[in-house]
Amino acid sequence: MLIPRRVKHRKQHHPDRGGKAKGGTAINFGEYAIQALEPAYVTNRQIESARIAMTRHIKRGGKVWISIYPDRPLTKKPAETRMGSGKGSPEWWVANVKPGRIMFELSGVAEPVAREAMRRAIHKLPMKCRFITREGEV
Amino acid sequence: MADFRLEAEIRTEFGKGSARRTRRAGRVPAVLYGHGQDVVHLSLPAREFAAALRNGGSNALLTVVIDGKDQLALTKAVQRDPIRRIHEHVDLVIVRRGEKVTVDVPIVVIGDTTPDVLVSIELNTVSVQVAATNIPESIEVDVTGRGVGEGFTVADLPLPSGATLLTDAEALVVNLMGAPSAEALEAELEEAEAEAGIEREESDEAAEGAGEGDVVPEPQDQGSGESIESTENS
Repeated sequence: MLIPRRVKHRKQHHPDRGGKAKGGTAINFGEYAIQALEPAYVTNRQIESARIAMTRHIKRGGKVWISIYPDRPLTKKPAETRMGSGKGSPEWWVANVKPGRIMFELSGVAEPVAREAMRRAIHKLPMKCRFITREGEV
Repeated sequence: MADFRLEAEIRTEFGKGSARRTRRAGRVPAVLYGHGQDVVHLSLPAREFAAALRNGGSNALLTVVIDGKDQLALTKAVQRDPIRRIHEHVDLVIVRRGEKVTVDVPIVVIGDTTPDVLVSIELNTVSVQVAATNIPESIEVDVTGRGVGEGFTVADLPLPSGATLLTDAEALVVNLMGAPSAEALEAELEEAEAEAGIEREESDEAAEGAGEGDVVPEPQDQGSGESIESTENS
């Protein structure tokens, strides 16, 4: 699972949820991609789950690229705890994904297979997404 | 190559307000320059421009009609809205008939390899110097019957007559790799599932191919996520 090896600050503020993706909005490696249409925090478990769903469907053909990285820690205070006493402990690693961002790319399979594989992967993700192709990006 | 004629209108007002009005009117703000001529600010019909790029590719040779005069042009840069997928602005560069231009031509893989071969496109475009009226829409690479290790370098690409390659001739364009064995792939996925704490239900495994594959269980407690302490300790 994707986890940063070391971080400068263990506990960070919540990442900004506003705005649209400034970069990473074009297909760079594969022929097909999943593009986010809503902002969301995508955890490393969700990324891994989507990758596994996609890889299981394409079986031995094709190659998958992950173009987001969960580098922001989110904290959580324990249940039934009174307020105060400092910030909670880090619990999740998330990627701060904004609308327009390409999250996964895929190549080496026919379009119907890619479409179905990515449909399965989209079900593992916490926001609305769509399937796009390199040809349609001109 | 098909001829794409676009009726352009000269823009007289500038800035984001004007650009937005232009887009609302179904036109794309554009700018035309090159050959030492003065920059001309234009707007193009959005629908026809999108059709030209869709049918002619990103290197489509456009005939821009400005005040009744024809001007050949190529797209230099196209800005698109990634969500609405509309063209926001276009940079056009003036070309002359017979002039040689440098363009990035996309690579298209056709044919089927031998079984258990993964096709990986390492270079999506190659830089080519070619006559403006003879730009190929794409360069096709036929991988029919090819096996592992029989990839294509830039030097192996079929080029149209009169074209000169500018990309390094030894650069790998299409790599043909061996697919992982079914057992190795399954072992890798199971290891990844175990690490991420993803459980697959037996009914899902049986119905694989028809419905959803695996199920991510709800965290058992609030501390189920990976914490920095555990990463540092491990």
